[in-house]
Amino acid sequence: MTDRKPGVYICKGCGIGEAVDTGALEALASGDLKVPVGKQHDFLCGAEGVATIEKDVADGLVNQPIIAACSQRVMTDQFNFDGAQTVRANLREWVAWAMPAGEEDTQMAAADQVRMGVAQASKMDVPEARVEEGLNTRILVVGGGSTGLNAALEAAATGHDVLLIEKTGKLGGWGAQWSKRMPHRPPYRDPQDNNVSSLIEAVQGNSAITVMTDTTVAETDGMPGRFNVKLANGSGEKQETVGAIVVATGWRPYDATKLGHLGYGASPDVVTGVELEGMLANGGVKRKSDGAVPRTVAFALCAGSRDPEHLPYCSSVCCGSSIKQALQIVEADPEAMVYIIFQELRTPGTAEEFYRQAQEAGVIFMKGKVKSVGADLTVTVDDELLGQEIPMTGLDMVVLATGRVPKATDPDKPAAEGGEEQLANDINPVAPIARAGEAEIATPAWSEAVPEGGPILNLQYRQGPHLPMLADGFADSHFICFPYETRRTGIYTCGPVRRPMDMAESAEDAAGAVLKAVQAIRSAQGGMSLHPRVGDLSFPKFGLDICTKCRRCTVECPFGAIDENEEGFPELNATRCRRCGTCMGACPVRTISFDNYNVQMVSEMISAVEIPDEFSEKYRILILACENDAAPALDMAGINRHSLNAEIRLIPVRCLGSVNMLWISDAFQRGYDGAMLMGCRSGDDYQCHFVKGSGIAEERMANVGQTLQSLMLEEGRVRSVEVSIADSAKVGKMIDEFVEEIRGYGMNPFKGF
Amino acid sequence: MTVALPEQATRKYDLGFARWVRDNVNGGAKMSMCMQCGMCSGSCPIGTEMDQGPRKLFMMIRAGMKDEVFNSSTIWNCTSCYNCTVRCPRGVPVTYIIQDLAAKAVEFGYVKKVENARFAKAFWWSAKTFGRTDERLMTAKYYFSFGLVEGMKRGLANLKIAIGMVRTKRMHIGMPHKIKDTKGLQAILAKAAEIDARESKGGA
Repeated sequence: MTDRKPGVYICKGCGIGEAVDTGALEALASGDLKVPVGKQHDFLCGAEGVATIEKDVADGLVNQPIIAACSQRVMTDQFNFDGAQTVRANLREWVAWAMPAGEEDTQMAAADQVRMGVAQASKMDVPEARVEEGLNTRILVVGGGSTGLNAALEAAATGHDVLLIEKTGKLGGWGAQWSKRMPHRPPYRDPQDNNVSSLIEAVQGNSAITVMTDTTVAETDGMPGRFNVKLANGSGEKQETVGAIVVATGWRPYDATKLGHLGYGASPDVVTGVELEGMLANGGVKRKSDGAVPRTVAFALCAGSRDPEHLPYCSSVCCGSSIKQALQIVEADPEAMVYIIFQELRTPGTAEEFYRQAQEAGVIFMKGKVKSVGADLTVTVDDELLGQEIPMTGLDMVVLATGRVPKATDPDKPAAEGGEEQLANDINPVAPIARAGEAEIATPAWSEAVPEGGPILNLQYRQGPHLPMLADGFADSHFICFPYETRRTGIYTCGPVRRPMDMAESAEDAAGAVLKAVQAIRSAQGGMSLHPRVGDLSFPKFGLDICTKCRRCTVECPFGAIDENEEGFPELNATRCRRCGTCMGACPVRTISFDNYNVQMVSEMISAVEIPDEFSEKYRILILACENDAAPALDMAGINRHSLNAEIRLIPVRCLGSVNMLWISDAFQRGYDGAMLMGCRSGDDYQCHFVKGSGIAEERMANVGQTLQSLMLEEGRVRSVEVSIADSAKVGKMIDEFVEEIRGYGMNPFKGF
Repeated sequence: MTVALPEQATRKYDLGFARWVRDNVNGGAKMSMCMQCGMCSGSCPIGTEMDQGPRKLFMMIRAGMKDEVFNSSTIWNCTSCYNCTVRCPRGVPVTYIIQDLAAKAVEFGYVKKVENARFAKAFWWSAKTFGRTDERLMTAKYYFSFGLVEGMKRGLANLKIAIGMVRTKRMHIGMPHKIKDTKGLQAILAKAAEIDARESKGGA
């Protein structure tokens, strides 16, 4: 921006006027800070207050209104002005509501908020949208099972063309092989007819959907809006362009041959749930040994699931599917005795009705763990409710409800070159969450954690060909915070490849992933960012004149948005970028910047704070708070009137990954006594909204410690803490403890230099 | 008559027993609704006087522990307060099942060692004959069911209590109290027996 016209607007409402002297703030703005327009108002977000600002903007007096009022997270519509760039200085949640009213320290904190706002404005420009031309809007759905069919129909219903590819010769997947499905409509009591065939008909009859069977993805390159996908089928390869990708590759049953202790293989009448399903669909249940119809059947639930030796997770569906199979057996022969041996029966929501139905039909549920199944079909149950082991004899058949393995890799494809290695690096560290009082779970070795097979999409990304997976091999990110997202922008997973789920859940999941895909395409068309910086038009700009080709930005970008060009310079795949700024934090020569967020801007903000001299006994602690969780938690601390220490100076950042370590050394040279980074949880159960930004920040912080030591400063003056959005009551105490520690070190000796 | 117990003497646990209870015990058809929440055992005022609470008894039925179920003190110590039945979230008639299990225990000769069964028989004799419980005659009938010598011994041991009760007019000497219309009672009981014989196949 060539001509910056800042204007400071101070709100006196919501208790700000009572807590701080707004007149003094106005005088500061127009005096020391030399801002041409400085005004205060009793109720800035009201019609009159907004009109005042609008008029100044319209008159050409101001193009950077600095709103010294409430948090940047609220009143965004009121303070959005055409042709102007709004800057927010948080006087309400972070000062007036969190610090004692009328005190000198509170006034100083408010003044510094205004100083930082003015400094921020001085380095900000309005981002120009970088709109790519000729983007594609077609959605590729990988996998033609019930999830994929639903995804294709949902995508077509949103008006997008769909390319549906299926590896096998026909559509329908597992679902097409079942005789009945679990009930998903009221009264949720009886097994329902399978609707997969009608889904297939609907897909085949939809002109917007192109179906390709016997087809797999040989290679995927590009970015949202322009994925270049090479499809392979028997007759050769075909190049297609799509806008976004939905992966619905589903699941496969856990290998029952590994369940020898449950009698699989020892007796032909020990079968898996999938095998039983085959019998039910093809003429009824018969013993493999003598072809007789079994009269007494036991289901062993959690066969291989929730077992650290096999699948550590709950496969979620087996309780319901076993109840369904038990009901089918009892329906065919009301005299049949069916036992379901469960550890915990997981029948949430309407599935409880289904469970009741089975009980009413006389299916007997026994709570316990199946210890072993003998070749003579003796099932030994460790009965939890009787507190003893019970041998069950006289059974005609034992059904093992085997768990589900996600098909995040294609077991029929050979491992890609370097793929296994890359996969191991990209899966989050296999670290089961340690909980107090629980026995430690054995951590599986890397080789066991990595599913065999080749990549599904064979991504031509510098992070490797695979979709990133969680520790158990599910291609998902944080399943509560960021469902469907795969850590590869524009590629979304749904159905059992994401987590174990049944057909009804998969159908909903398909709709969710498709909506994400539509969002990705639309955002790409407008040059806008996706979650969590939805709508952000800024993108990283590289100052190639001083770039040293160190490749840190390309390596650290969590989304593979940056590649190296032939000369080794960074090159942006614009629509993959999520605007987290991790590249900016990584750059050792600070030549990566966003129009409205850059290293210089935050440096200016840090420098703008007035540091009292060493005789004042007033400390200054810099807190860089992630805007996704930490800053809202701090906001809520204010809203709930938890007090915040008045010696802290808070700057929200896009992600801790964007924190350039220059800022920390800047702060100490300026005379700050301590610095704290507040970000999201990293690791296997990460909550970082940019996957690994906070983890990267932690690594960088380790190096800062060494820098501090070389300056003869204590390492403890810098700390990185994890804050979740629910920590509003704790965050003030965390700060107080840190400030206490800093006081223990004494003041920063660089003050005043 | 109830269907005979399944013959599975060689096995400790009898998978057919649960089915037999379902088909033959009053209220047994509802037993499959039990979800082992333990509301019954938690509600039982004399749970501490039982070998096991109703929840565990039901689990033993499912596991086919026939002998243990019929020899359990649970079925005899139940006072029929109906707390469990009223509170069961799955509508299982716990009290009916326990009462009928006791009847079946008598029928299948499991009660030789169980004193409660003798007491119950004496109680029932008094109620049926007089329409009232006559403490003297009921106690005498109960004591002498152990044999003449044992009956004398038990009677003498409680003599002091008996005298005390007479003195405070808690027990009387003379003809037993009766209800006015014993014939009417007999008719009611006969009708109940008829209904029971007609409907006692499963179902509460």
